[in-house]
Amino acid sequence: MSPYDQEPPQWAIRFLRFYCKPRALEIIEGDAYELFYKRIDNEGIEAARKKFSWDVLRFFRLRYIKGLEDINSLNNIAMIKNYIKISFRSLLKQRFYSLINIGGLAIGLAACLLIVMYISNELSYDKFHADSERIYRIGVWTPARLAIQSKLDIPEIEETTRIQGPYSQTFNIDGRVFKEPLGFNADSTFHNIFSVEFIEGNPDESLKEPNSVILTQTLATKFFGYESAVGRVIKAGGDIVKVTGVVADPPKNSHFGYRFINSYPNETWVTVGNWTGNNFFTYAKFTKGSDPEEVENKMTDFAAKYVGPELVKFTGHANYEEYLAEGGRARGFSVRAMTDLHLYYPSLSLRSGGSIDNVYIFSAVALFILVIACINFMNLSTARSAMRSKEVGMRKVLGSLKGQLINQFLVESMMVSVLSMILAIGLASLTLNGFNSLANRTFDYQDLFGGSVMLQLFGLVLFVGLLAGSYPAFVLSSFKPIKALKGEVQKGGKGSAFLRQGLVAFQFAISIFLIISTVVVFKQLNFLTDQKLGFDAEQVLIVKNADVLEDKAEVFKTNLSQIPSIENMAMSRDFISERVSDWSYETVEENSRNHSFINMFATDDFLNTMGLNLIEGRNFTNTLVSDTATVLINEAAKKWLGWDEVLGRKISRGDGEDYTIVGVVNDFNFTSLKNKIEPMVIRVMGEDGRVESDWYAGNYVYLRVNGNFRETVSTVESLWKSIITDEPFEYAYLDEAFAALYDEEERFGKLFTTSSGLAIIIACLGLFALAAFTLERRFKEIAVRKVLGASISSITLMILKGFTILVGAGALIAIPVGYIVMGDWLQDFAYQISLNNPLIWILPALMVATIAWLTVGFLSAKTAMANPIKALRSE
Amino acid sequence: MARINMGEFEELVLLIVAILNDNAYGISVMEEIEAQTNRKINISAVHSALDRLESKGFLGSHVGGATKERGGRRKRYFTINTAGQEALNFIREQRNKLHDQIPNLGLEYVSI
Repeated sequence: MSPYDQEPPQWAIRFLRFYCKPRALEIIEGDAYELFYKRIDNEGIEAARKKFSWDVLRFFRLRYIKGLEDINSLNNIAMIKNYIKISFRSLLKQRFYSLINIGGLAIGLAACLLIVMYISNELSYDKFHADSERIYRIGVWTPARLAIQSKLDIPEIEETTRIQGPYSQTFNIDGRVFKEPLGFNADSTFHNIFSVEFIEGNPDESLKEPNSVILTQTLATKFFGYESAVGRVIKAGGDIVKVTGVVADPPKNSHFGYRFINSYPNETWVTVGNWTGNNFFTYAKFTKGSDPEEVENKMTDFAAKYVGPELVKFTGHANYEEYLAEGGRARGFSVRAMTDLHLYYPSLSLRSGGSIDNVYIFSAVALFILVIACINFMNLSTARSAMRSKEVGMRKVLGSLKGQLINQFLVESMMVSVLSMILAIGLASLTLNGFNSLANRTFDYQDLFGGSVMLQLFGLVLFVGLLAGSYPAFVLSSFKPIKALKGEVQKGGKGSAFLRQGLVAFQFAISIFLIISTVVVFKQLNFLTDQKLGFDAEQVLIVKNADVLEDKAEVFKTNLSQIPSIENMAMSRDFISERVSDWSYETVEENSRNHSFINMFATDDFLNTMGLNLIEGRNFTNTLVSDTATVLINEAAKKWLGWDEVLGRKISRGDGEDYTIVGVVNDFNFTSLKNKIEPMVIRVMGEDGRVESDWYAGNYVYLRVNGNFRETVSTVESLWKSIITDEPFEYAYLDEAFAALYDEEERFGKLFTTSSGLAIIIACLGLFALAAFTLERRFKEIAVRKVLGASISSITLMILKGFTILVGAGALIAIPVGYIVMGDWLQDFAYQISLNNPLIWILPALMVATIAWLTVGFLSAKTAMANPIKALRSE
Repeated sequence: MARINMGEFEELVLLIVAILNDNAYGISVMEEIEAQTNRKINISAVHSALDRLESKGFLGSHVGGATKERGGRRKRYFTINTAGQEALNFIREQRNKLHDQIPNLGLEYVSI
């Protein structure tokens, strides 16, 4: 066979043709082929093919690689180079407008960049778990046996695990005491459901034994420095536990962030439990391709089979069917995709604090700001178009097609948006910390400069460049060359001026809307904080973790009573402002009614300590044995009971546990004012913190302080430390605890303030530039008016009138929209401000109008005051 | 004459082109170098040396000679021009001048 029938490797020849300069290609290819044929004879086909490829690779040098000029037609490249050059020149020629354009767009893009980062982070929650799309949360609070039984009974369920938390726990490491938040209990199957990266320890074994704990890397380092943690024995929450694993810190975008995980004790409430006590969070991994809805349907039968029989023991029905027939609530377990928990079921997520509403609101804000910046861009470009009419005319005469002119203006707008992008990245990284406090997240530069965020930003920039550039491009390119060259003014038609004004009005509308939102949010917040809570929160100090005192409670209280600045003290099971649990009571009467009352336990001093008023009856007394079965109720409870005379009547927990109502206290807010005051029962607690059947419930000590707060705190702290060694002293001021309930709303207020501030700044930049431009165009007109006798003030007013109409039009759009949107927001609150206060609506509009007047007024007055000769002489 | 900007390998290639006279193209130059000096070189190195020399003005070139051995592709023949010859002469004279000035190292070295 002749060597000339052989072919070298195709990829090599294709690669050569791909990169090689056309000028050199034939020669190089020829030499390579010649060598190839020669080598077939001398060295054999295999070696020849190999060497051919090697030669091709060796020719891959700068000298032979295609340059820009070799790609496609040379003409296009040259034109783009020219476009870029012209764009630079026109940007530099109009420095003032370019600056406003780029600056405004950069602010808008920076806001967008941060918000894009926020949103993509929100959407990424829990996606890092392997098979995250197959992991589901079963129910809300679930019985102990659900996990094991459902795995046995329902074929779609591949694996289950139970967790509990988050809670805080005290660790004692060789005498050093740490109080650590974000602890969980978990089954040994935890790592089969959730992706956990073990650094030390055996994943399969680490949670099997009771009294085992897994620490995250951060915590392990905090406890043990850089020593190995596995195998160490420490004291945690009063138990001796062994560290069996160290895992990497869970990613921040997880719906439950943990710092340590305890194994479950080998006790019946865990291993057996019952079907009516709901204490666990249950997660399940489904088999591939299973339908969650089907599983949810199966859960109804499942619940009937297991929960039903146990349920009727309490309700007194013969069986579950009868219970259902009599209107009982059918039991079942919901099935929710884990990846939806963070955004769509914030009540199910374990304090990750996400909500889809926030994502929408942030997106809307980003869009608003971007739209305002884009409008500036469009307005300024079209407004300036008249100045470039000669250039366009000249280009057309010299043979430019419309398409080429469009390209030119698009390149120009792209350039502005790319320059803005660079500036925006700088701005965003400078304001990252501020943004973190607005969004309640902890982003760092890694998140900001992560590949996907930057990619999205780049996409956004291209989009903005095209969007904002397309309108001016079409307007400018459609000029008639003959008119343009004759020097006739081309306004771009009446429509264009109208559109320009419409866009400005729209900017004002957005600004006014954002200010209205800000005003409403802050008014509502002030309203909430000014509300009478029904008690005096200001002087109340709460000592937490008092449950560790147990038998020492008496000593602690005796010592406290000797501190002169403490007026009153009480113990309670509950920390008001946080959730107080509700217990079901029924009325003792002929047709007994059932209701879940908010249930507190407190000592008799609670009323004095909190400053509550007794409306009727008397307080219970700790020392009176006859008072153990007495309760206080609030006014709301009295209303619900509906009895004319409540004192002496009884309510019951069933099983003959009856409680006599001895007094009624005034309604007071024990939780966020988003909720109405609900019927409440206050049960008596012994002076030593114990309630009936010797159950210790003194979790919190309430102190009414009269005098120096700080001194009192440190006195109490040293007292605590002298009594309790292995639990740090923790306290809270009640008024601060209540204020913290509105953190989310406070953040909202800040978000709206910031965004409305930005919106106004960008809009005003645009307005200023537009006004400057308009006045420049009307320079002669104003001069003629002046010559004919117009006064400075009349001219200024004339110009202001035009802009005021635009503000008015904006307000007309913004006010109804604001009324609807903010009315909707207020629905969350049980106590709302009235939206019918005209000030809420007029003030923002006036504010925007004032800013617009100031922006434009300065320029108009300057123009009006100018000497008319300067304008007229140039003829 | 001003400084001549030429590397060692370029000088070698230029010499070979001069030797090959009418038949100097990529492969013939490469083979000649391999034959004369026993150096293993890659064809791409020869090409870029030839191109550099041409852009420096020491070589001229023309395209021709499409043959079956190259799959019908043409080759680029290089010929040395006057500037190239002058450059070679200059380098040679300079070398010789320097060689002549070397003292008789060999004898004195032995006398140590």
